[in-house]
Formats: sequence, structure tokens, C-alpha cells
Amino acid sequence: MDTDFYIPMRLDEVESPLQTEIQKTLGIDIETCMECGKCSGGCSNAHIFDFTPRKVIQLIRLGAEETLLTMDALWVCLSCQLCVDRCPSGVDIPRIMDYLREKAHREGYRPSRPAVALFYELMCSCVERRGRVSEAPLMLRFNILTRQYLKDLTLGIRMFLKGKLPLTAGKVKKMDEVRVLFASWKRRSVKRG
Amino acid sequence: MIVAYYPGCSLEGVAREYDRSARLVCDRLGFGLQEVPDWNCCGATAAHSLDHELTRGLSARNLAIVGRMNLATVTTPCPGCSIRLKGAAMEAKKESGAPEVMHLLQLLTEAAGTEKIASSVIKPLGGLRLAAYYGCLVTRPRAVARFDDPEQPRSMDRILQALGAETVDWSHKAECCGGAFAASETSIVVDLGGQVLEAARQAGAEALAVACPMCQVNLDTRQWEVESTRGVRYDLPVFYFTQLMGLAYGFTNRAMGLKRLLVNPLPLLKRKGIL
Repeated sequence: MDTDFYIPMRLDEVESPLQTEIQKTLGIDIETCMECGKCSGGCSNAHIFDFTPRKVIQLIRLGAEETLLTMDALWVCLSCQLCVDRCPSGVDIPRIMDYLREKAHREGYRPSRPAVALFYELMCSCVERRGRVSEAPLMLRFNILTRQYLKDLTLGIRMFLKGKLPLTAGKVKKMDEVRVLFASWKRRSVKRG
Repeated sequence: MIVAYYPGCSLEGVAREYDRSARLVCDRLGFGLQEVPDWNCCGATAAHSLDHELTRGLSARNLAIVGRMNLATVTTPCPGCSIRLKGAAMEAKKESGAPEVMHLLQLLTEAAGTEKIASSVIKPLGGLRLAAYYGCLVTRPRAVARFDDPEQPRSMDRILQALGAETVDWSHKAECCGGAFAASETSIVVDLGGQVLEAARQAGAEALAVACPMCQVNLDTRQWEVESTRGVRYDLPVFYFTQLMGLAYGFTNRAMGLKRLLVNPLPLLKRKGIL
């Protein structure tokens, strides 16, 4: 009888540099995961995730770095912090998701949801320039760059008329103190990327 | 009690009525709010999504300014800002003393208390049936937020009850509304926000009370999209809890900025004899 059709994989025989990296950099021990699935059960967006939080942990154990850095879940995770609160072992999954997203972004992986990545970048550049986020110009710039010129036009006008979208917002005076933070982010990106 | 006040970017923009009502209500309760001078954005979802050290650095600058104000406590009405500041304060505390960071709901619960909140009521919100909606970051992650129960939060319910309103028991108090995806992945907000609105309706709520600019914007400004997607008319006004406190304390609807809400709350308030 041919018994080779299914050979179970033994996780203790798999080397995962990523798991070691996460342990070292973030101090998160994935081995404490009991595979109970409470993280995925509570996740608001699990129904649209390509890999649910529990699978993400398994992929880290398997060392499947490429899959993790290109997965869609990175860009639709809400950072709602429900998974970590429900984890009996306290595995900080949102922190791991941030770490993976940061790495994917730094190493130039094409995000599966370019609009989400672009929105984050535009918001950061807004803070870099003014120290604070001004919502109306941010929305306008986002719509122009994604070529969705009519997106939320009616809503935007209604909100503008309600005074909810002032065209100018406050600005930080000591901008050098803010710029230095962004400069060191760029230096880190170059060094690691 | 003098407290440092960090408004955050939304409170200068889409949530100005939250800022105004929070300041008036705090003043009425005897809190002297001193705005953190020259504060910067906490980086919100964008910064922590792209770089951990950047998000820490942005909040560290704000905490350093609070430190120079010589105040022990800093409060912010925005849960996003509060969790970023709390996270940075936890890291800083390992080295030296950092100020105590409190979300506004936490400050009012722990430093004022429901008795004091109730004693200032002039016009009780009798007959108003509300769903208190906490969202994510007021109570989560629990190790950082260290406030209320992350699964069954009650602090806002108690405040609303102290104002004379009725609060409903419901399932989606601490579920996510779709957070920062309003512009970039709108369908997520329409989906998750829709679930929150549906749960509130099924529980018999006549309006929602929130403590987060993002929750308010998602549930209020996207409500018509939820209605057209689900084919259900909700017509649920989404108040900041401070606006409701202000109404009970006798402030006018103008002072509380009620006209800035997209789902018009005036018919409901008139029906209940509150306005």
C-alpha cells in the first residue's frame, strides 16, 4: 500500500528565521500559541482575510515569509486589538501585523491594496510637513492620486457645509522637532531595506 | 483639578463639536483643561502601520511637552490618540516618570464619578433610549488601556444613565466600526459600521453615543450608504457623549454643535421634550 500520499509536516523540524526574528525584535514568543482560534473567531475582518490571525501564526512557524509579506490581510487589518485581548497567551498579533507590514513596505513589496498604503503614506507626509493632519486636503490629494475624482463628492460637500472640513488646520511651530523623527525613519528604512 | 488637554487633529476638523462640548462639560465639572502647547499629531493608524519607532517618537514629543507643563495627567477625547500616548508613556515609565494618560471617558469616570456627573444635571435626558458605543481603543488592548472592561464596557452607560437617559444592552458595544478605512476601503466601513447600526436598531436604541471621532464619522456620515446597501432606514443620530452631557447640563443645542451631525438629531430631541 502506498502511504506516501500524505506525510504530515513536523513543525519542530521546520526552521523559521522569521519566528526567531520576531522573538528577538519584538519579544513575542509564538510557541505560546495554543491554536485555540479565539483570535480568528473574534476578528471583525476575518471573512475578508486571505489568512486569518491563527493562520498568520502558523505561517510564521513555517517560516513562510514571502507569503506573509505579500498577503492581503496586512492591508485590511483594522488594528482593533481584539485578537490580542482574547488570546489566552497574550500573543500580540496586531504588533506582529504592524511588524510584517512595516517590513513589506520597507522592502518594496507591492501592497495588495495600493489605496490603503497610499492613504497611510499621504497621512504621514501630511504630518511630516505640518506636524498635524488636515483632513480636507488629505482627502482631496487621495482622490486625485487614486483618480477617483468624484468619490465622496456629495458627502464632502455636505460635510464642508456643516463646517466639518475646514480647509486649514493647525500647524506645529517647532517643526524641526517633528522633521527629525521622519528623517530618522528614512535613515532606518535605507539601512534595513 | 488642572489637567493637560491633548485634542488631536480630528478635534480641529471633523470633530470640532466634540472639542467644544468636551471643554464646556469639563469646565462645568471643575476640570481646568490646559491645551498641550504646540502638540503634534500622534500619527494615528498611518504611522503605526508603517513604522513603530515613528509612532513612538511622535507621542514621546507630546509627552515631553506635557512633562514641561508640570501636570500629572493628560487627557484626550480621541481613543486613537489616547492609546498611542499610553503606549509611549508605558515605554517611558520604565526609565523615568511619565504623566498619566487618560481618555476623556476615563477622566470623567475616575476623577469625577457618576455622582458628581449626575449632580450637575439641570435638564435630565428622560425617555431617551441610547446605545453606548465604545468601539476599540477606549478599552483595548487592555494591557495598555487599563480602563473598563474590554468585552463589556460600562463606563459610558453609567454616565448616560446619570444624565437620566436609558441605555440598551446590546452586542456591538466594543466591535470595530471600520476605523481608518473610511476613505481607502470604504466598503469595510459600510460593512462593519452597518453591523453596528443594525445591532443598535435591533436592541431598540433611538440614537448612539460615542467617544471617538472616527466612530462618529463612520457611523454618521456613512449611514446613508449603509441604508442604501442594506435597504433599511436607520435614522439613528450619532452623538458624542459630551454633547449629551452638555444638553443635560443646560447648554444650548448650538453650543453643543448638534447641527453639525449629518443624521439630524433635532426631531428626536424635540419628540422627547429635551429641546
